[in-house]
Amino acid sequence: MSRPDDTDPDTLFIAEALPAFVSEAREQIEGIEQLLLQLETAPDDRELLDALFRCAHTVKGSAGLFGLDAVVDFTHHVETLLDRLREGRLLLTPALSTLLLSSNDEIRSLVDAAAGQGTEDRREGREALVERLRDAAGDTREAQDAVADTDADAPAGPGRWRVSVAFGTDTFRNGMDPLAILAYLGGLGRLASIACRDTAIPPLEHLDPESCHLGFDLELETDACRAEIEHAFAFARDDVELEMRRLDGSGREPQAEDTAAAAAQTDVEAAAGPGATAARAARPGDGAPADGATRYIRVPADRLDEVINLLGELVIAGAGASLLARQSGQGPLVEANAQIGRLVEEIRNGTLQLRMVPIGETFARFRRVVRDTAAQLGKDVALEVVGGETELDKGMVERIADPLMHLVRNALDHGLESPADREVAGKPPRGRLVLAACHESGSVLIRITDDGRGIDRRKVLARAWDRGLVERGVTPSDDEILGLIFEPGFSTAEQVTNLSGRGVGMDVVKRNVEALRGHIGLRSDEGEGTTVEIRLPLTLAIIDGFLIGVGPSRFVVPLEAVVEVVESRVAQGAFDARGRGLVELRGQPLPVVGLRALYALESPHPERSSIVVLHAAGRRYGVVVDQLLGQHQTVIKPLGRMFRSLRGMSGSTILGNGEVALIIDVGALGELAAADARAGANAERAAPGRDRRPVTS
Amino acid sequence: MDHRRHLALPRELCVPTVAALRTDCLEWLDVGDSDAAVDASGVDEVDAAGVQLLVSLSRTLAARGRPLRLHAPSGPLRDACRTLGAHALIDASADGDLR
Repeated sequence: MSRPDDTDPDTLFIAEALPAFVSEAREQIEGIEQLLLQLETAPDDRELLDALFRCAHTVKGSAGLFGLDAVVDFTHHVETLLDRLREGRLLLTPALSTLLLSSNDEIRSLVDAAAGQGTEDRREGREALVERLRDAAGDTREAQDAVADTDADAPAGPGRWRVSVAFGTDTFRNGMDPLAILAYLGGLGRLASIACRDTAIPPLEHLDPESCHLGFDLELETDACRAEIEHAFAFARDDVELEMRRLDGSGREPQAEDTAAAAAQTDVEAAAGPGATAARAARPGDGAPADGATRYIRVPADRLDEVINLLGELVIAGAGASLLARQSGQGPLVEANAQIGRLVEEIRNGTLQLRMVPIGETFARFRRVVRDTAAQLGKDVALEVVGGETELDKGMVERIADPLMHLVRNALDHGLESPADREVAGKPPRGRLVLAACHESGSVLIRITDDGRGIDRRKVLARAWDRGLVERGVTPSDDEILGLIFEPGFSTAEQVTNLSGRGVGMDVVKRNVEALRGHIGLRSDEGEGTTVEIRLPLTLAIIDGFLIGVGPSRFVVPLEAVVEVVESRVAQGAFDARGRGLVELRGQPLPVVGLRALYALESPHPERSSIVVLHAAGRRYGVVVDQLLGQHQTVIKPLGRMFRSLRGMSGSTILGNGEVALIIDVGALGELAAADARAGANAERAAPGRDRRPVTS
Repeated sequence: MDHRRHLALPRELCVPTVAALRTDCLEWLDVGDSDAAVDASGVDEVDAAGVQLLVSLSRTLAARGRPLRLHAPSGPLRDACRTLGAHALIDASADGDLR
């Protein structure tokens, strides 16, 4: 693409519109990948094949608008092969599928290059791919050159087509006239016959004359190929259901160019309808009904983030105003403020809803991972996705992808057995991996289930003994043994593979999940399989908090983590230098953390204090505080760089009076408390050195 | 000619006019002489919505045991019906008097 002049309106337009093209093209490319993977289980699903062709066609078409010749040229070859596939002249073999997947990767890197994120030019690799695409499509170079820039189709030769078309009810309202479309179709050749489906048209009493009920069955004699016939319906794409079938009654030999596929030529039937289902299939996980019932607006994510930020400020300012109102003691003012507060809360909920995206898009990415990884490991694995429409905060979706990837690889590597092993174990040779998501009591539950060999608890325990995670000879409960897998440095892989044994253990996965204020758990039946459960909050931005005070300092605890509040009878001397101690609660020992000692807060001890009992990751502990200040809508602000290393804190928030409060990271603080309790119980035998972690690391 | 007794198709037999024409047709079916042919000579412009309405009218009449007869259908209307495979509308047309 030439860039003659930066002030040239065309150049400016292209520069402005290019990001939209790149984003759309990436969606289409993602669509191609998903469709190819879906087609592996249904290689002759015409609807998928048509959707696939359209994705490639769209990329090529819009790349053409931007003069991205490299994308157009390469995609053209892909499109040609796809056209052969959907005409039924070729069958989508696994080898072809692999070729198309690599080609799709190439399109992706070409688009990246166009977006200025290009790596080195892989011209040679590309040319080799083009050769293979041509070979696969059965094209000679000459034939290919001859049709270089036409619409991806070698002329199909004179033929007779049976076309069935049903127009959607909105056809007229969308400004389409089937009369014009059929007249155009007639112009492609000779309309041998056409019949209007009278019976689909309601009698006058029930007719909405502005709704379209027209359907036609026709036979067309034409030299045009399938794509050209389809093109007649291009403008009514969303409003039409199209079925085409080439009649082979002429006794004519199929095109000589493609003898290999000649056998597949007879009665090729295709639902070429760019109907709603196909359009949806083209954008997996999009969840967008293509029937026009719901319309979408594309909004840049950063604009949305800006609104959320402002909303956070509004919540804080609102809290400040209502505090002042209460202090003024003026009833009407307090009431007016309360009304504003309610509205702000509604806006808050509505706005956070805008950030919700279906998790299916993330799940869909794993199809390729599962395919390639399973092949690499010599395993046969079917991936099932359940509940892909479950919505989750966009930021959360992005950050959960890595932990999920690790868990999926783990399942493939360690969980699922090879086909031979599975047969020995009396299981079907093909393993099953299920990614499922659903909403459950205000959070999102993600499950990764495999039907592999499960977790051998004896091995886990033996390893835990070796590592000193558990005192040798002590056998914890089954659940506790499974929990050990999340301990730092734990790995049962007998052989470190290059897949999951990259030094990243389940402890990192756990930490990442907990950084999202989520929880991770594990269930496993030996020989039956393993389920990993991740529970995530719906959003990262705002939580219901519980405000507590120590001296003049304020802290916020996520309300959902609070179990109860009890009066503290702990003597000052009961804490160690790091503020950790042990109290008795209803006959059970409860580790407690004193924030005053832990964070060296210089303020006099109050006469009375309370213990807020929290639960995190399956354990309970208490936090000793001076004041209980009640529930608080908490807008989470990240901690500054200087405070990142502060242990036990996950963020900060601004209170109504402008003061800053730190938000307690319940999980991390719990580890701190538990480390001390364990050390206390085992007198430093079990885990020497583990309990004296510095507060800042 | 009493327009309620005799039905004449408008010059524009298109989306913008079909709603009004449907009302006229229903009235004609109720009180008019629906044995008579429909004057189709004045149709100048026609689209698929227009043809759809005629097919619907024809079905409604058929349910009452009567055919729809179009009187002297204009060229554009004939072409449209042929293109859309609504041959029956044209085949049953009458070129003679309205009655």
